[in-house]
Amino acid sequence: MSELENTANKHLDEITLLLYVERQLDRDSAQEVSLHTQTCTSCMTLLRALDRESRLLTRSMLEEDEPLPARLTGFQARVKKSMQWIWGLVFGLAALGIYALYTGYIEPAEHELEQAGFGGTNLLSLLLFQGALWKGWQSMFTSVEFVALVSAAGFGLFLFRRYLKRASALAVMFASLGLLAAFASPASAMEFRKSDSIQIKKDEVIKGDLYATGENVRLDGTVDGDVYVAGKQVVISGRVTGEVFCACQSLRIDGQVEGSVRNASNSLTITGTVGRGVTSFSETTAIDLSGKVGHSITAFSKSLTVDGTVGGDVLAFAAETNIAGNIEGEIRVHGDSLSIGSNASIGGKASFEGNSPADVASGAKLASPITFKKIEHTRNARGGGYYVWRVIWASAFILFGLVLLWVLPQFSKEATGNVENVGASFGLGVLVGFALPIAAILTCVTVVGLFVGLSAFFLWFASLYFSQIVVGAAVGSWILGRTNETWPLVGRMAIGILILRASMALPFIGGWIKIAVILWGIGAISLAAYRRLQPVMAPNIPTPPMAHVGTPLPPNTTVSGV
Amino acid sequence: MIARVRAGDTQAWGDLYREFAPAIFRFCRRAMPTREDAEDATMEIFMKLRDKLTQYDQSRSFTAWLYRVAANHCWDMLRRRKARHDKDTEDIDDLPIEAPEPNQLEKLIEERTSEEVRKALDKLGARARMALVMRYYSDMSYDEIADALGVRRPFVGVVLLRARHELRQALGENSALAVGGTR
Repeated sequence: MSELENTANKHLDEITLLLYVERQLDRDSAQEVSLHTQTCTSCMTLLRALDRESRLLTRSMLEEDEPLPARLTGFQARVKKSMQWIWGLVFGLAALGIYALYTGYIEPAEHELEQAGFGGTNLLSLLLFQGALWKGWQSMFTSVEFVALVSAAGFGLFLFRRYLKRASALAVMFASLGLLAAFASPASAMEFRKSDSIQIKKDEVIKGDLYATGENVRLDGTVDGDVYVAGKQVVISGRVTGEVFCACQSLRIDGQVEGSVRNASNSLTITGTVGRGVTSFSETTAIDLSGKVGHSITAFSKSLTVDGTVGGDVLAFAAETNIAGNIEGEIRVHGDSLSIGSNASIGGKASFEGNSPADVASGAKLASPITFKKIEHTRNARGGGYYVWRVIWASAFILFGLVLLWVLPQFSKEATGNVENVGASFGLGVLVGFALPIAAILTCVTVVGLFVGLSAFFLWFASLYFSQIVVGAAVGSWILGRTNETWPLVGRMAIGILILRASMALPFIGGWIKIAVILWGIGAISLAAYRRLQPVMAPNIPTPPMAHVGTPLPPNTTVSGV
Repeated sequence: MIARVRAGDTQAWGDLYREFAPAIFRFCRRAMPTREDAEDATMEIFMKLRDKLTQYDQSRSFTAWLYRVAANHCWDMLRRRKARHDKDTEDIDDLPIEAPEPNQLEKLIEERTSEEVRKALDKLGARARMALVMRYYSDMSYDEIADALGVRRPFVGVVLLRARHELRQALGENSALAVGGTR
């Protein structure tokens, strides 16, 4: 006999009647309730009351007692309208920022390089066409142009992905790959050498480019092409008809290089002849008495010594520069000290920017007196303009943050939330902050990888700014309290950014604060991105059982007096 | 319309908003303690909806799914604020429910207007109010209510019954009507 039958002469409890009204009882129990209420007036009255109560509740709740508030009616329209002026302001400030960057950094650098005789009309053409840094740029130009095009197309596809059908996206992708293959240049003859000790003997001739890696690399023979070499001690005493690209501890050129030399090493010594220019990133760069450089020298060194002959200009960023040889062009030196020996001869203009005027020996032959400009220590002499620009940059950051919160609200909020996970964010930030650009540069080595590398580099660069915004938003939230809503978060972000930017302007510790904020923020962003890439659990997967509260009840049990 | 919204059609999104925003606002208005909370919740639900639409199974009712999203969001908000402390503690859940006197209950219900019910709803604890709104406004099933509130399915009826008792208490506060203890 069921419990309901047991209670045939008693009243049914309220929960049973409610479940009956709500159609939650099984068939048998429902029948028993039905039978009981036919004979029990009290239960019937309660049943009817419960039913009426249900209807009253539904009616009360469904009644349109108040219209949709204006805030919600204009919710979308207002966002769109407000963003119109924001976009104008953002682009205006961005243009201002770019102009400041150009006039503050690019133009002076370009001017200096032009003054140094590189003769390019702008920095980009200098890099791309004259091969000031790498000859490969010249041959790679079409590829770079193409990659830029593919990047732009990729970005466009990303923006309009919702309008593209899968087939058309695939077609675009295959067309791009086809074009990429069409643009790929045919491989030329090349020779690879890898050993602890490599020697190209005197009578040996290598037709094509040479790629060599080893502890000791000695080239006594002839390479009819370019030389790419990485090692500890590298000596070129033979002949290279092309160019030399070297990364090593020490590079010594005793022989003849008909092209240019691009070098990153501890020391570079030239006693032989270099037909074209020399670009050197070395602790010490020395052109010995017998050394000859056909074109210009660009050196980023601790010390630069020129005792030999230079056919073009000398552009040096070196702590210590000593010139005792013959320079047919101009010299432009930026560093601590410049010393001109008595045997020195300079055919063009000479200028020096440093701490104290150049030391010029009496016998030196100069086409014109050396122009000296004392290095200004701007940190101690900040004009009003400095603070104006800082305010403009801080505003630009806030607007950038506003755009990000609008475009990627959820992601920005997640990244901001991750900032509070200090350990994980900072650790990941150090890893990504340093590893990503290195990986991007390595990826750029291959033509196909160039796109990926450039994209990764671009993302990394953007994250340098994004990181300050998420940390700013977190700082603002600590001060004003957390919020999950967009506009209050924008306000907190603005306050946080102002605080951060002010901290970064502090002398001595400002730089460290900036690095810490960037690494921290990059970590938080990376964490958010990582979590986004995790597979999402399908909604119909059963959830783990809830914590039990007492013993589970069978579905048809009356729950009297719970 | 849903397919168009999913495909990024802003016009369709506007249509969807216009069609469902009033109902969702009313849902939030009933479930949340203040009007401002309801407005905030409505905006957040629609912002959340853009991301969540990918999870919607088109073979099922969109309205039911939307109410589920709204219920989960409102309940999350309420839980975060720890607004349940007042009347939704375990201690109260363990207290026996006093059976009402049928005639008095019937009289009470008969005499109360919709407006009075809405005012009384505002006086309820968060869980009680949420349960009633889910059941009697958006017609959610017991399973869905159990899922949203994080209670076991057989306990939903008890939650609803307790909520009704709280409501009757609130409705009867300014009245000489007594609805319990005579059966």
